[in-house]
Amino acid sequence: FGPCQVKGVVLSELWKAFWAVKNTVQAQDNITSIRLLKPEVLPNISDAESCFVAHALLKFYLNVVFKNYYNKRVEFKILKSLSTLANNFILIISKLQPSQENEMFAIKESAHRRFLLFQRAFKQLDIEAALAKAFGEMDILLTWMEKFYHQL
Amino acid sequence: ATCVSGGLPQPTNITFISINMQNILRWNPPAELQGAEVTYTVQYFIYGQKKWLSKPECRNINRTYCDLSVETSDYEHQYYAKVKAMWETNCSRWAETTRFYPFLETQIGPPEVALTTGEKSISITLTAPEKWKRNPEDSTVFMQQIYPNLKYNVSVYNTKSKRMWSQSITNHTLVLSWLEPSTLYCVQVEAFIPGPPRLIQPSHKQCVSTLEDQASALKVR
Amino acid sequence: NGVAVLPAPQNLSVHSTNMKHLLTWSPVILPGEMTFYSVEYQGEYESLYTSHVWIPSSSCSPTNGSECDITDDITATVPYNLRVRTTRDSQTSAWSTLEHPFNRNSTVLMPPRMEVTKDGFHLVLELEDLGPQFEFLVVYWRREPGAKEHAKVVRRGGIPVHLETMDAGAAYCVKAQALVKTIGRHSAFSQAKCVEVQGESLPL
Repeated sequence: FGPCQVKGVVLSELWKAFWAVKNTVQAQDNITSIRLLKPEVLPNISDAESCFVAHALLKFYLNVVFKNYYNKRVEFKILKSLSTLANNFILIISKLQPSQENEMFAIKESAHRRFLLFQRAFKQLDIEAALAKAFGEMDILLTWMEKFYHQL
Repeated sequence: ATCVSGGLPQPTNITFISINMQNILRWNPPAELQGAEVTYTVQYFIYGQKKWLSKPECRNINRTYCDLSVETSDYEHQYYAKVKAMWETNCSRWAETTRFYPFLETQIGPPEVALTTGEKSISITLTAPEKWKRNPEDSTVFMQQIYPNLKYNVSVYNTKSKRMWSQSITNHTLVLSWLEPSTLYCVQVEAFIPGPPRLIQPSHKQCVSTLEDQASALKVR
Repeated sequence: NGVAVLPAPQNLSVHSTNMKHLLTWSPVILPGEMTFYSVEYQGEYESLYTSHVWIPSSSCSPTNGSECDITDDITATVPYNLRVRTTRDSQTSAWSTLEHPFNRNSTVLMPPRMEVTKDGFHLVLELEDLGPQFEFLVVYWRREPGAKEHAKVVRRGGIPVHLETMDAGAAYCVKAQALVKTIGRHSAFSQAKCVEVQGESLPL
């Protein structure tokens, strides 16, 4: 992701896990008039900013989306996919080291504004709807990650 | 025209068939109404936007497909489509697709494959599959421009030795040299992209024979 | 409900080779009917964020053998906790948990089996199909003093791959090592295998 090199995670495992439950999870999202990962949040991000955005989004998925999903009564197939995605996200985030240098402040701020767009849209929904929508939009997130992700 | 909704069973197997970003919605007639004078109306929806949109050319049609390539041409967006069947004064409830993401789900058509043979060689020239375009005179966009990590898998089969081998390439030319003369070789190429599981369409198998070995031809004379 | 009256399985351990992970334990010998076992796993995420969550193994919940192929359950390069218990009708044992979490980056990587052949002047290699996680670094050279080595990454095993167009009268050798990107490791190189091309060497 731009300055953060992420090695050792093969996105095909994440794709396989998500694809196995894509239609099931997206069918649970009835509010089709709202898209959390809007075109303004993800595409056209500079390399430098992508690291901050990735870190913020992945952290949100780990702390909020996946965590709450585990507390729902989900079918076994979804639980398995959830585990694969969550454990790979933990690995990615452990390797994402966003720069803390001062001159990156403006970029960090811009990244934070993008993340807030996503987070605000998430919070405007009822939690169950928001979880289903965020999980259902992982194809958008993984597509974006694939473009930035530098493999070994 | 108003109709009694739910009076008919829904169309079935409604899905987008997408190849090189040409996105065609297809469905099957309601089970018990094969052959009846059923007509269909299609609507589509851009995920994240507000309302269902109609396509006039796909209102009250009796065919079971509708080309929504124009309406779904922004492949970074995601879409839904729905169809309802009408017959006399009755109509079905809407039957809806799953969420369709052209960027991830379009099939990559095979490249065009041109073979030219030499005495002991075959030159393979590939032309990348083209993205669907609205008008023939629109500028051409190759699928490789949309998917920079697109690769080709070239499979070569020697009909004499019955051996097959393959090679993965990213550029558009490959010269197979030091082949056996006067031998029929068959070539097939498929394009593939790392990422989510995606249907692949290999090219038609093309067979050409290498030329006669000139040296032995001269000896014979 | 099932009170823990059955003895719990002992000596849990994981044997992992070429990214195939096998959990084994000592069988529990009980008189009468067959004894079954249930296997569950928990990745680093579950243990950190939702420690109450354990996920039944895809292929061994239940099983009647004393081993379980957990390859499809271990889908990230993070530590996994694993546990097994004995079950019979409604009776269960206590859980036995693997002493140390298992991380697939500890798998033993063996050099790939390979078949080196030729089709006329073409050097063809077929590598063992070790699954989608594997790629291969293939090194080949012309067998002559001071020969230069060439390297190529082969993305998949199980299909014959064209390596090189050879010169008549020459011999070529090949060796390969397995690469696993998800754990950032590779195997040792295989033994080299060589083939020779008939015919006298060609005029320059």
